[in-house]
Amino acid sequence: MKWQNRSRWVAIPLTVLILLILLFPFFVMLSTMLKSGQDVYTSPPFWIPTHVEWSNFVTVWTSYDLASYFLASLVIAVGATVLNTLLCVPAAYAVARLNFVGRKAALFLLLMIEMFSPVIVIISLFKIVTRVGLYDTFLSLIIVDALFTVAFNTWMMNGYFKTIPKDIEEAAMIDGCTRVQTITRIMLPIAVPGLVTIMIYAFIFAWNEFLFALSFISSKNLMPLTIGLYNFVGRWTTQWQYLTMAAFLAILPVLCLFYVIEKRLVAGLAGGAVKE
Amino acid sequence: MHSVSSHELSLKQRLWNPEARLAYVLMAPTVLFLAAFLFFPIGYVFVMSFFRTNKLSELTEFVGLANYVERLKDREFWETVGRSMVWTATGVVVKSLMGMVIALLLNVEYKGRKVMRMLFIIPWASSVPISALLWQWVYHPEFGLLNHTLKATGIWTNPPTWLGEQLSAFIACMWVDIWAGIPFFALVFLAGMQAIPPELYESGQIDGVNGRQAFRWITLPGLRDLILISTMLSAIWTFNDFNVIYILTRGGPAGATNILTVSVYMNAFVNLKFDKAAVTAVFVFLILTAVSIVYARFYFRKEND
Repeated sequence: MKWQNRSRWVAIPLTVLILLILLFPFFVMLSTMLKSGQDVYTSPPFWIPTHVEWSNFVTVWTSYDLASYFLASLVIAVGATVLNTLLCVPAAYAVARLNFVGRKAALFLLLMIEMFSPVIVIISLFKIVTRVGLYDTFLSLIIVDALFTVAFNTWMMNGYFKTIPKDIEEAAMIDGCTRVQTITRIMLPIAVPGLVTIMIYAFIFAWNEFLFALSFISSKNLMPLTIGLYNFVGRWTTQWQYLTMAAFLAILPVLCLFYVIEKRLVAGLAGGAVKE
Repeated sequence: MHSVSSHELSLKQRLWNPEARLAYVLMAPTVLFLAAFLFFPIGYVFVMSFFRTNKLSELTEFVGLANYVERLKDREFWETVGRSMVWTATGVVVKSLMGMVIALLLNVEYKGRKVMRMLFIIPWASSVPISALLWQWVYHPEFGLLNHTLKATGIWTNPPTWLGEQLSAFIACMWVDIWAGIPFFALVFLAGMQAIPPELYESGQIDGVNGRQAFRWITLPGLRDLILISTMLSAIWTFNDFNVIYILTRGGPAGATNILTVSVYMNAFVNLKFDKAAVTAVFVFLILTAVSIVYARFYFRKEND
Protein backbone atom coordinates (compact mmCIF):
# COMPACT_ATOMS: atom_id res chain seq x y z
CA MET A 1 0.00 0.00 0.00
CA LYS A 2 1.21 3.49 -0.84
CA TRP A 3 0.79 5.07 2.59
CA GLN A 4 2.52 2.03 4.04
CA ASN A 5 5.58 2.48 1.85
CA ARG A 6 5.88 6.07 2.86
CA SER A 7 5.47 5.22 6.54
CA ARG A 8 8.33 2.75 6.52
CA TRP A 9 10.87 5.45 7.30
CA VAL A 10 8.87 6.48 10.31
CA ALA A 11 8.02 2.95 11.38
CA ILE A 12 11.49 1.45 11.56
CA PRO A 13 13.14 4.03 13.86
CA LEU A 14 10.04 4.16 16.05
CA THR A 15 9.94 0.36 16.28
CA VAL A 16 13.60 0.27 17.30
CA LEU A 17 13.04 2.97 19.92
CA ILE A 18 10.11 1.12 21.50
CA LEU A 19 12.09 -2.12 21.43
CA LEU A 20 14.98 -0.46 23.23
CA ILE A 21 12.59 0.64 25.96
CA LEU A 22 10.77 -2.70 26.26
CA LEU A 23 13.91 -4.81 26.27
CA PHE A 24 15.64 -2.54 28.77
CA PRO A 25 15.54 -5.01 31.70
CA PHE A 26 17.05 -7.70 29.49
CA PHE A 27 19.89 -5.39 28.49
CA VAL A 28 20.44 -4.79 32.19
CA MET A 29 20.40 -8.55 32.75
CA LEU A 30 22.96 -9.19 30.01
CA SER A 31 25.18 -6.42 31.32
CA THR A 32 25.01 -7.46 34.98
CA MET A 33 25.38 -11.19 34.53
CA LEU A 34 28.90 -10.84 33.21
CA LYS A 35 30.11 -8.29 35.73
CA SER A 36 32.32 -8.87 38.75
CA GLY A 37 30.87 -8.27 42.21
CA GLN A 38 32.81 -5.06 42.46
CA ASP A 39 31.46 -3.75 39.15
CA VAL A 40 27.89 -4.51 40.22
CA TYR A 41 28.17 -2.33 43.29
CA THR A 42 29.88 0.65 41.73
CA SER A 43 28.08 3.97 41.79
CA PRO A 44 27.30 5.38 39.31
CA PRO A 45 26.63 2.10 37.49
CA PHE A 46 27.83 1.45 33.94
CA TRP A 47 26.85 -0.85 31.07
CA ILE A 48 30.04 -2.54 29.88
CA PRO A 49 31.82 -4.72 32.47
CA THR A 50 35.42 -3.65 33.14
CA HIS A 51 36.31 -7.24 32.48
CA VAL A 52 33.91 -9.95 31.41
CA GLU A 53 33.45 -12.39 34.27
CA TRP A 54 32.69 -15.64 32.41
CA SER A 55 33.17 -17.57 35.64
CA ASN A 56 29.75 -16.32 36.82
CA PHE A 57 28.29 -18.89 34.49
CA VAL A 58 30.01 -21.63 36.49
CA THR A 59 29.67 -20.11 39.95
CA VAL A 60 25.86 -20.12 39.85
CA TRP A 61 25.95 -23.91 39.48
CA THR A 62 28.79 -24.66 41.89
CA SER A 63 28.28 -22.19 44.76
CA TYR A 64 24.48 -21.94 44.66
CA ASP A 65 21.60 -24.39 44.53
CA LEU A 66 20.69 -23.54 40.96
CA ALA A 67 20.90 -27.19 39.85
CA SER A 68 18.49 -28.18 42.58
CA TYR A 69 16.04 -25.40 41.61
CA PHE A 70 16.23 -26.42 37.97
CA LEU A 71 15.60 -30.05 38.80
CA ALA A 72 12.63 -29.15 41.02
CA SER A 73 11.12 -26.92 38.30
CA LEU A 74 11.64 -29.65 35.75
CA VAL A 75 10.01 -32.38 37.86
CA ILE A 76 7.06 -30.15 38.73
CA ALA A 77 6.55 -28.89 35.19
CA VAL A 78 6.83 -32.32 33.57
CA GLY A 79 4.54 -33.84 36.20
CA ALA A 80 1.96 -31.09 35.76
CA THR A 81 2.15 -31.40 31.97
CA VAL A 82 1.56 -35.15 32.02
CA LEU A 83 -1.32 -34.92 34.49
CA ASN A 84 -2.85 -32.01 32.60
CA THR A 85 -2.65 -33.78 29.24
CA LEU A 86 -4.14 -36.99 30.60
CA LEU A 87 -7.09 -35.00 31.91
CA CYS A 88 -7.61 -32.62 29.01
CA VAL A 89 -7.36 -34.83 25.94
CA PRO A 90 -10.17 -37.29 26.75
CA ALA A 91 -12.41 -34.50 28.03
CA ALA A 92 -11.71 -32.42 24.93
CA TYR A 93 -12.59 -35.34 22.68
CA ALA A 94 -15.87 -35.77 24.50
CA VAL A 95 -16.94 -32.14 24.12
CA ALA A 96 -15.68 -31.94 20.54
CA ARG A 97 -17.16 -35.12 19.13
CA LEU A 98 -19.75 -36.77 21.31
CA ASN A 99 -23.39 -35.89 21.75
CA PHE A 100 -24.54 -35.68 25.31
CA VAL A 101 -26.81 -33.57 27.43
CA GLY A 102 -24.93 -30.63 28.92
CA ARG A 103 -22.23 -30.43 26.25
CA LYS A 104 -22.75 -26.74 25.67
CA ALA A 105 -22.92 -26.03 29.38
CA ALA A 106 -19.61 -27.84 29.82
CA LEU A 107 -17.99 -25.73 27.11
CA PHE A 108 -19.34 -22.55 28.64
CA LEU A 109 -18.08 -23.52 32.08
CA LEU A 110 -14.64 -24.22 30.66
CA LEU A 111 -14.46 -20.73 29.19
CA MET A 112 -15.44 -19.27 32.53
CA ILE A 113 -12.94 -21.08 34.68
CA GLU A 114 -10.22 -20.26 32.17
CA MET A 115 -10.20 -16.84 33.85
CA PHE A 116 -10.13 -18.12 37.38
CA SER A 117 -7.85 -16.44 39.91
CA PRO A 118 -5.66 -18.77 41.97
CA VAL A 119 -5.82 -16.30 44.85
CA ILE A 120 -9.50 -17.15 45.44
CA VAL A 121 -8.75 -20.74 46.36
CA ILE A 122 -5.26 -20.40 47.80
CA ILE A 123 -6.52 -20.60 51.41
CA SER A 124 -8.70 -23.65 50.77
CA LEU A 125 -6.05 -25.41 48.74
CA PHE A 126 -3.49 -24.71 51.43
CA LYS A 127 -5.78 -26.36 53.97
CA ILE A 128 -6.47 -29.34 51.74
CA VAL A 129 -2.81 -29.80 50.95
CA THR A 130 -1.75 -29.72 54.59
CA ARG A 131 -4.67 -31.92 55.66
CA VAL A 132 -3.87 -34.73 53.24
CA GLY A 133 -0.15 -34.54 53.97
CA LEU A 134 0.93 -33.03 50.67
CA TYR A 135 2.44 -29.89 52.17
CA ASP A 136 6.05 -29.44 51.07
CA THR A 137 5.87 -32.06 48.31
CA PHE A 138 6.26 -31.84 44.54
CA LEU A 139 2.90 -33.55 44.14
CA SER A 140 1.04 -30.61 45.67
CA LEU A 141 2.46 -28.28 43.03
CA ILE A 142 1.97 -30.81 40.23
CA ILE A 143 -1.72 -30.99 41.10
CA VAL A 144 -2.41 -27.26 41.35
CA ASP A 145 -0.25 -26.38 38.35
CA ALA A 146 -2.14 -28.94 36.27
CA LEU A 147 -5.41 -27.56 37.65
CA PHE A 148 -5.05 -24.02 36.40
CA THR A 149 -4.44 -24.95 32.79
CA VAL A 150 -7.15 -27.63 32.54
CA ALA A 151 -9.85 -25.29 31.29
CA PHE A 152 -7.79 -23.49 28.67
CA ASN A 153 -6.12 -26.66 27.40
CA THR A 154 -9.36 -28.63 27.16
CA TRP A 155 -10.84 -25.73 25.24
CA MET A 156 -7.82 -25.54 22.89
CA MET A 157 -7.80 -29.29 22.29
CA ASN A 158 -11.55 -29.27 21.66
CA GLY A 159 -10.94 -26.68 18.97
CA TYR A 160 -8.23 -28.84 17.47
CA PHE A 161 -10.31 -32.00 17.38
CA LYS A 162 -13.14 -30.10 15.73
CA THR A 163 -10.92 -29.19 12.77
CA ILE A 164 -10.36 -32.89 11.97
CA PRO A 165 -12.97 -34.05 9.43
CA LYS A 166 -15.49 -36.51 10.85
CA ASP A 167 -15.23 -38.71 7.71
CA ILE A 168 -11.79 -39.90 8.72
CA GLU A 169 -13.11 -41.24 11.98
CA GLU A 170 -16.23 -42.72 10.42
CA ALA A 171 -14.17 -44.53 7.80
CA ALA A 172 -12.01 -46.06 10.52
CA MET A 173 -15.07 -47.22 12.41
CA ILE A 174 -16.55 -48.80 9.33
CA ASP A 175 -13.24 -50.65 8.97
CA GLY A 176 -13.85 -52.14 12.39
CA CYS A 177 -12.05 -49.80 14.73
CA THR A 178 -13.74 -49.24 18.06
CA ARG A 179 -14.34 -45.70 19.24
CA VAL A 180 -11.37 -45.84 21.60
CA GLN A 181 -9.13 -47.19 18.83
CA THR A 182 -10.12 -44.37 16.52
CA ILE A 183 -9.15 -41.91 19.24
CA THR A 184 -5.75 -43.40 19.93
CA ARG A 185 -4.83 -44.50 16.38
CA ILE A 186 -6.46 -41.88 14.19
CA MET A 187 -7.33 -38.74 16.11
CA LEU A 188 -4.31 -38.36 18.38
CA PRO A 189 -1.67 -38.75 15.65
CA ILE A 190 -3.45 -36.12 13.55
CA ALA A 191 -3.82 -33.86 16.56
CA VAL A 192 -0.12 -33.87 17.46
CA PRO A 193 0.35 -30.13 16.76
CA GLY A 194 -2.52 -29.36 19.12
CA LEU A 195 -1.14 -31.79 21.65
CA VAL A 196 2.26 -30.12 21.50
CA THR A 197 0.64 -26.73 22.03
CA ILE A 198 -1.28 -27.68 25.16
CA MET A 199 1.68 -29.59 26.61
CA ILE A 200 4.04 -26.66 26.14
CA TYR A 201 1.45 -24.32 27.57
CA ALA A 202 1.04 -26.50 30.67
CA PHE A 203 4.82 -26.78 31.01
CA ILE A 204 5.39 -23.02 30.77
CA PHE A 205 2.63 -22.30 33.25
CA ALA A 206 4.09 -24.69 35.81
CA TRP A 207 7.64 -23.47 35.19
CA ASN A 208 6.61 -19.86 35.85
CA GLU A 209 4.22 -20.52 38.72
CA PHE A 210 5.04 -18.53 41.85
CA LEU A 211 2.11 -18.17 44.28
CA PHE A 212 1.55 -21.86 45.06
CA ALA A 213 5.24 -22.65 45.22
CA LEU A 214 5.59 -19.79 47.68
CA SER A 215 2.78 -21.17 49.85
CA PHE A 216 3.24 -24.94 49.61
CA ILE A 217 7.02 -25.44 49.69
CA SER A 218 9.28 -24.82 52.65
CA SER A 219 12.22 -27.20 52.14
CA LYS A 220 15.09 -25.62 50.31
CA ASN A 221 15.81 -28.73 48.25
CA LEU A 222 12.24 -28.79 46.88
CA MET A 223 12.11 -25.16 45.80
CA PRO A 224 11.56 -24.47 42.09
CA LEU A 225 13.39 -21.71 40.25
CA THR A 226 10.85 -18.95 40.84
CA ILE A 227 11.01 -19.33 44.62
CA GLY A 228 14.69 -20.18 44.71
CA LEU A 229 15.58 -17.00 42.87
CA TYR A 230 13.09 -14.95 44.88
CA ASN A 231 14.73 -16.07 48.11
CA PHE A 232 18.08 -15.18 46.64
CA VAL A 233 17.21 -11.49 46.78
CA GLY A 234 17.75 -9.29 49.75
CA ARG A 235 18.94 -11.64 52.46
CA TRP A 236 22.45 -10.25 52.36
CA THR A 237 23.64 -7.78 49.82
CA THR A 238 22.17 -9.47 46.78
CA GLN A 239 24.80 -10.82 44.41
CA TRP A 240 23.03 -9.44 41.37
CA GLN A 241 25.60 -10.76 38.91
CA TYR A 242 24.64 -14.31 39.97
CA LEU A 243 20.94 -13.60 40.19
CA THR A 244 20.82 -12.12 36.68
CA MET A 245 22.86 -15.04 35.36
CA ALA A 246 20.45 -17.49 37.01
CA ALA A 247 17.49 -15.49 35.66
CA PHE A 248 18.93 -15.68 32.16
CA LEU A 249 19.30 -19.46 32.43
CA ALA A 250 15.81 -19.85 33.92
CA ILE A 251 14.11 -17.76 31.23
CA LEU A 252 15.88 -19.31 28.27
CA PRO A 253 14.00 -22.65 28.09
CA VAL A 254 10.51 -21.11 28.40
CA LEU A 255 11.40 -18.41 25.92
CA CYS A 256 12.28 -21.02 23.31
CA LEU A 257 9.16 -23.05 24.04
CA PHE A 258 6.97 -19.96 23.85
CA TYR A 259 8.04 -19.29 20.28
CA VAL A 260 6.79 -22.74 19.30
CA ILE A 261 3.23 -22.12 20.47
CA GLU A 262 2.94 -18.34 20.24
CA LYS A 263 0.80 -18.23 17.07
CA ARG A 264 -1.60 -20.94 18.17
CA LEU A 265 -1.80 -19.39 21.61
CA VAL A 266 -2.85 -16.04 20.18
CA ALA A 267 -5.42 -17.72 17.96
CA GLY A 268 -6.75 -19.73 20.89
CA LEU A 269 -7.03 -16.72 23.15
CA ALA A 270 -8.60 -14.42 20.62
CA GLY A 271 -11.17 -16.89 19.33
CA GLY A 272 -12.34 -17.31 15.77
CA ALA A 273 -11.43 -13.75 14.84
CA VAL A 274 -7.79 -14.61 14.14
CA LYS A 275 -6.27 -17.17 11.81
CA GLU A 276 -3.29 -19.22 12.90
CA MET B 1 -22.23 -42.71 13.48
CA HIS B 2 -25.86 -41.83 13.09
CA SER B 3 -26.77 -39.40 15.76
CA VAL B 4 -30.51 -39.57 16.01
CA SER B 5 -32.30 -36.28 16.36
CA SER B 6 -32.72 -35.66 20.02
CA HIS B 7 -36.44 -34.90 19.78
CA GLU B 8 -37.26 -38.50 19.04
CA LEU B 9 -35.61 -39.80 22.17
CA SER B 10 -36.89 -39.93 25.70
CA LEU B 11 -34.97 -38.09 28.36
CA LYS B 12 -33.59 -41.34 29.66
CA GLN B 13 -32.31 -42.31 26.24
CA ARG B 14 -30.72 -38.91 25.80
CA LEU B 15 -28.94 -39.12 29.13
CA TRP B 16 -28.02 -42.79 28.96
CA ASN B 17 -26.98 -44.06 25.54
CA PRO B 18 -23.63 -45.52 24.45
CA GLU B 19 -22.32 -42.24 23.09
CA ALA B 20 -23.28 -40.25 26.17
CA ARG B 21 -21.85 -42.95 28.42
CA LEU B 22 -18.50 -42.74 26.65
CA ALA B 23 -18.56 -38.97 27.04
CA TYR B 24 -19.17 -39.28 30.76
CA VAL B 25 -16.32 -41.76 31.13
CA LEU B 26 -13.93 -39.53 29.19
CA MET B 27 -14.88 -36.46 31.17
CA ALA B 28 -15.10 -38.07 34.58
CA PRO B 29 -11.42 -37.62 35.57
CA THR B 30 -11.45 -33.92 34.69
CA VAL B 31 -14.80 -33.32 36.35
CA LEU B 32 -13.72 -35.08 39.54
CA PHE B 33 -10.40 -33.25 39.51
CA LEU B 34 -12.07 -29.87 39.11
CA ALA B 35 -14.64 -30.76 41.75
CA ALA B 36 -12.01 -31.70 44.29
CA PHE B 37 -9.50 -28.94 43.69
CA LEU B 38 -11.56 -26.07 42.33
CA PHE B 39 -15.28 -26.25 43.11
CA PHE B 40 -14.91 -27.63 46.62
CA PRO B 41 -12.25 -25.01 47.49
CA ILE B 42 -14.52 -22.25 46.19
CA GLY B 43 -17.33 -23.55 48.37
CA TYR B 44 -15.01 -23.78 51.33
CA VAL B 45 -13.91 -20.16 50.99
CA PHE B 46 -17.58 -19.13 51.05
CA VAL B 47 -18.13 -21.19 54.19
CA MET B 48 -15.03 -19.76 55.82
CA SER B 49 -16.21 -16.23 55.13
CA PHE B 50 -19.14 -16.81 57.52
CA PHE B 51 -16.92 -17.94 60.40
CA ARG B 52 -14.31 -16.52 62.72
CA THR B 53 -10.98 -18.27 62.29
CA ASN B 54 -7.94 -18.69 64.49
CA LYS B 55 -4.30 -18.38 63.45
CA LEU B 56 -4.25 -21.99 62.31
CA SER B 57 -7.07 -21.16 59.87
CA GLU B 58 -9.51 -23.34 61.84
CA LEU B 59 -13.16 -22.28 61.93
CA THR B 60 -13.97 -21.28 65.49
CA GLU B 61 -17.35 -19.56 65.54
CA PHE B 62 -20.21 -19.01 63.09
CA VAL B 63 -20.80 -15.28 62.78
CA GLY B 64 -23.12 -15.04 59.81
CA LEU B 65 -22.50 -11.89 57.80
CA ALA B 66 -20.41 -10.19 60.48
CA ASN B 67 -17.17 -10.58 58.51
CA TYR B 68 -18.80 -8.95 55.50
CA VAL B 69 -20.19 -6.09 57.53
CA GLU B 70 -16.75 -5.51 59.01
CA ARG B 71 -15.17 -5.43 55.56
CA LEU B 72 -17.75 -3.09 54.14
CA LYS B 73 -17.20 -0.66 57.01
CA ASP B 74 -13.45 -0.85 56.68
CA ARG B 75 -11.96 2.15 54.90
CA GLU B 76 -8.83 0.24 54.04
CA PHE B 77 -10.89 -2.38 52.23
CA TRP B 78 -12.54 0.22 50.03
CA GLU B 79 -9.17 1.79 49.32
CA THR B 80 -7.94 -1.60 48.19
CA VAL B 81 -11.00 -2.05 45.96
CA GLY B 82 -10.46 1.40 44.49
CA ARG B 83 -6.78 0.71 43.94
CA SER B 84 -7.61 -2.55 42.18
CA MET B 85 -9.97 -0.70 39.86
CA VAL B 86 -7.44 2.02 39.08
CA TRP B 87 -4.78 -0.65 38.60
CA THR B 88 -6.93 -2.65 36.19
CA ALA B 89 -8.28 0.30 34.21
CA THR B 90 -4.90 1.99 33.80
CA GLY B 91 -3.25 -1.30 32.93
CA VAL B 92 -5.74 -2.26 30.25
CA VAL B 93 -5.90 1.17 28.64
CA VAL B 94 -2.13 1.63 28.41
CA LYS B 95 -1.51 -1.96 27.31
CA SER B 96 -4.11 -1.85 24.57
CA LEU B 97 -3.03 1.56 23.25
CA MET B 98 0.64 0.61 23.18
CA GLY B 99 -0.25 -2.77 21.73
CA MET B 100 -2.17 -1.02 18.96
CA VAL B 101 0.75 1.29 18.16
CA ILE B 102 3.16 -1.64 18.02
CA ALA B 103 0.78 -3.68 15.88
CA LEU B 104 0.49 -0.80 13.42
CA LEU B 105 4.27 -0.48 13.31
CA LEU B 106 4.72 -4.21 12.76
CA ASN B 107 2.07 -4.19 10.06
CA VAL B 108 4.32 -2.04 7.87
CA GLU B 109 6.21 -4.25 5.45
CA TYR B 110 9.99 -4.20 5.41
CA LYS B 111 12.83 -6.66 5.59
CA GLY B 112 13.48 -7.86 9.11
CA ARG B 113 10.06 -7.16 10.54
CA LYS B 114 9.67 -10.82 11.52
CA VAL B 115 12.72 -10.44 13.72
CA MET B 116 11.24 -7.29 15.23
CA ARG B 117 8.03 -9.18 15.93
CA MET B 118 9.96 -11.94 17.68
CA LEU B 119 11.81 -9.43 19.82
CA PHE B 120 8.55 -7.78 20.85
CA ILE B 121 7.29 -11.09 22.23
CA ILE B 122 10.08 -11.45 24.80
CA PRO B 123 8.43 -9.59 27.71
CA TRP B 124 5.34 -11.82 27.38
CA ALA B 125 7.30 -15.03 26.85
CA SER B 126 9.57 -14.41 29.78
CA SER B 127 8.59 -15.72 33.19
CA VAL B 128 6.77 -12.93 35.05
CA PRO B 129 8.20 -13.66 38.53
CA ILE B 130 11.70 -13.68 37.15
CA SER B 131 11.10 -10.54 35.11
CA ALA B 132 9.85 -8.87 38.27
CA LEU B 133 13.11 -9.79 40.00
CA LEU B 134 15.04 -8.24 37.11
CA TRP B 135 12.96 -5.09 37.39
CA GLN B 136 13.74 -4.90 41.07
CA TRP B 137 17.39 -4.59 40.10
CA VAL B 138 16.61 -2.17 37.27
CA TYR B 139 14.75 0.07 39.74
CA HIS B 140 17.56 -0.02 42.31
CA PRO B 141 17.98 3.63 43.45
CA GLU B 142 21.75 3.63 43.65
CA PHE B 143 23.13 0.88 41.44
CA GLY B 144 20.18 0.42 39.07
CA LEU B 145 20.70 1.27 35.43
CA LEU B 146 17.29 2.87 34.98
CA ASN B 147 17.89 5.93 37.12
CA HIS B 148 21.44 6.11 35.87
CA THR B 149 20.25 6.14 32.27
CA LEU B 150 17.54 8.69 33.00
CA LYS B 151 20.10 10.99 34.61
CA ALA B 152 22.86 10.42 32.09
CA THR B 153 20.64 11.15 29.10
CA GLY B 154 19.12 14.15 30.84
CA ILE B 155 15.59 12.78 30.43
CA TRP B 156 15.02 13.03 34.16
CA THR B 157 17.72 14.57 36.31
CA ASN B 158 16.08 13.79 39.62
CA PRO B 159 14.23 10.46 39.31
CA PRO B 160 12.43 8.99 42.35
CA THR B 161 13.62 6.00 44.39
CA TRP B 162 11.07 3.97 42.49
CA LEU B 163 9.99 1.31 44.96
CA GLY B 164 10.58 3.46 48.03
CA GLU B 165 7.86 6.09 47.66
CA GLN B 166 4.13 5.54 47.56
CA LEU B 167 3.18 7.05 44.22
CA SER B 168 6.33 6.02 42.38
CA ALA B 169 6.04 2.45 43.73
CA PHE B 170 2.52 2.19 42.32
CA ILE B 171 3.71 3.52 38.98
CA ALA B 172 6.73 1.22 39.00
CA CYS B 173 4.62 -1.88 39.69
CA MET B 174 2.00 -0.76 37.19
CA TRP B 175 4.65 -0.37 34.54
CA VAL B 176 6.02 -3.89 35.03
CA ASP B 177 2.51 -5.32 34.72
CA ILE B 178 1.87 -3.20 31.63
CA TRP B 179 5.24 -4.09 30.17
CA ALA B 180 4.52 -7.81 30.42
CA GLY B 181 1.04 -7.37 28.93
CA ILE B 182 1.79 -5.20 25.91
CA PRO B 183 2.99 -8.01 23.60
CA PHE B 184 -0.29 -9.90 23.95
CA PHE B 185 -2.24 -6.94 22.56
CA ALA B 186 0.36 -6.24 19.91
CA LEU B 187 0.25 -9.82 18.60
CA VAL B 188 -3.52 -10.14 18.74
CA PHE B 189 -4.08 -6.81 16.98
CA LEU B 190 -1.41 -7.58 14.40
CA ALA B 191 -3.01 -10.95 13.65
CA GLY B 192 -6.36 -9.19 13.35
CA MET B 193 -4.97 -6.55 10.98
CA GLN B 194 -3.50 -9.22 8.77
CA ALA B 195 -6.87 -10.95 8.58
CA ILE B 196 -8.51 -7.82 7.13
CA PRO B 197 -8.88 -8.33 3.36
CA PRO B 198 -6.34 -6.14 1.50
CA GLU B 199 -9.02 -5.32 -1.09
CA LEU B 200 -10.68 -3.08 1.48
CA TYR B 201 -7.56 -0.94 1.67
CA GLU B 202 -7.09 -1.03 -2.10
CA SER B 203 -10.59 0.22 -2.77
CA GLY B 204 -10.09 2.77 -0.03
CA GLN B 205 -7.01 4.00 -1.81
CA ILE B 206 -8.90 4.40 -5.06
CA ASP B 207 -11.38 6.54 -3.18
CA GLY B 208 -8.49 8.71 -2.01
CA VAL B 209 -8.56 7.68 1.63
CA ASN B 210 -5.53 8.72 3.69
CA GLY B 211 -3.75 6.58 6.27
CA ARG B 212 -5.58 7.96 9.26
CA GLN B 213 -8.96 7.55 7.61
CA ALA B 214 -8.09 4.01 6.61
CA PHE B 215 -7.30 3.24 10.23
CA ARG B 216 -10.51 4.82 11.45
CA TRP B 217 -12.88 3.34 8.88
CA ILE B 218 -11.24 0.05 7.85
CA THR B 219 -8.78 -1.16 10.50
CA LEU B 220 -10.70 -0.28 13.67
CA PRO B 221 -14.06 -1.73 12.55
CA GLY B 222 -12.22 -4.84 11.38
CA LEU B 223 -10.70 -5.28 14.81
CA ARG B 224 -13.89 -4.60 16.77
CA ASP B 225 -14.50 -8.11 18.10
CA LEU B 226 -10.83 -8.67 18.82
CA ILE B 227 -10.59 -5.45 20.77
CA LEU B 228 -13.56 -6.51 22.89
CA ILE B 229 -12.24 -10.01 23.58
CA SER B 230 -8.66 -9.03 24.28
CA THR B 231 -9.69 -6.14 26.51
CA MET B 232 -11.84 -8.41 28.64
CA LEU B 233 -9.11 -11.04 28.87
CA SER B 234 -6.52 -8.46 29.76
CA ALA B 235 -8.81 -6.86 32.35
CA ILE B 236 -9.12 -10.20 34.11
CA TRP B 237 -5.38 -10.90 33.94
CA THR B 238 -4.47 -7.43 35.15
CA PHE B 239 -6.97 -7.60 37.98
CA ASN B 240 -5.55 -11.02 38.93
CA ASP B 241 -1.95 -9.95 38.96
CA PHE B 242 -0.19 -10.97 42.13
CA ASN B 243 3.39 -11.83 41.21
CA VAL B 244 4.58 -8.41 40.11
CA ILE B 245 3.39 -6.58 43.21
CA TYR B 246 4.30 -9.28 45.68
CA ILE B 247 7.83 -9.52 44.36
CA LEU B 248 8.47 -5.80 43.98
CA THR B 249 6.76 -4.31 47.05
CA ARG B 250 4.56 -6.90 48.85
CA GLY B 251 1.80 -4.27 48.74
CA GLY B 252 3.89 -1.49 50.28
CA PRO B 253 5.14 1.06 50.99
CA ALA B 254 2.35 1.81 53.47
CA GLY B 255 -0.19 -0.11 51.38
CA ALA B 256 0.38 1.99 48.27
CA THR B 257 0.41 -1.04 45.96
CA ASN B 258 -2.01 -3.21 47.91
CA ILE B 259 -4.62 -4.53 45.47
CA LEU B 260 -7.29 -7.16 46.25
CA THR B 261 -5.31 -10.23 45.19
CA VAL B 262 -2.28 -9.19 47.20
CA SER B 263 -4.42 -8.38 50.22
CA VAL B 264 -5.97 -11.88 50.18
CA TYR B 265 -2.53 -13.44 50.37
CA MET B 266 -1.10 -11.02 52.92
CA ASN B 267 -4.14 -11.28 55.22
CA ALA B 268 -4.06 -15.05 55.10
CA PHE B 269 -0.42 -16.00 55.14
CA VAL B 270 1.28 -13.00 56.74
CA ASN B 271 -1.31 -11.55 59.15
CA LEU B 272 -2.97 -14.97 59.67
CA LYS B 273 -6.43 -13.35 59.47
CA PHE B 274 -8.03 -16.06 57.39
CA ASP B 275 -11.63 -14.90 57.81
CA LYS B 276 -10.71 -11.46 56.54
CA ALA B 277 -8.88 -13.02 53.60
CA ALA B 278 -11.82 -15.33 52.83
CA VAL B 279 -14.27 -12.41 52.56
CA THR B 280 -11.90 -10.59 50.22
CA ALA B 281 -11.50 -13.79 48.18
CA VAL B 282 -15.28 -14.03 47.85
CA PHE B 283 -15.35 -10.45 46.55
CA VAL B 284 -12.65 -11.28 44.03
CA PHE B 285 -14.65 -14.33 43.00
CA LEU B 286 -17.85 -12.33 42.46
CA ILE B 287 -16.11 -9.63 40.42
CA LEU B 288 -14.27 -12.16 38.26
CA THR B 289 -17.35 -14.27 37.72
CA ALA B 290 -19.29 -11.28 36.48
CA VAL B 291 -16.61 -10.38 33.94
CA SER B 292 -16.07 -14.01 32.97
CA ILE B 293 -19.73 -14.50 32.14
CA VAL B 294 -19.65 -11.52 29.80
CA TYR B 295 -16.46 -12.80 28.19
CA ALA B 296 -17.62 -16.39 27.89
CA ARG B 297 -20.98 -15.42 26.38
CA PHE B 298 -19.33 -13.18 23.83
CA TYR B 299 -16.67 -15.72 22.89
CA PHE B 300 -19.21 -18.52 22.79
CA ARG B 301 -21.56 -16.69 20.47
CA LYS B 302 -18.75 -15.95 18.07
CA GLU B 303 -17.53 -19.55 18.07
CA ASN B 304 -20.99 -20.83 17.28
CA ASP B 305 -21.76 -18.33 14.54
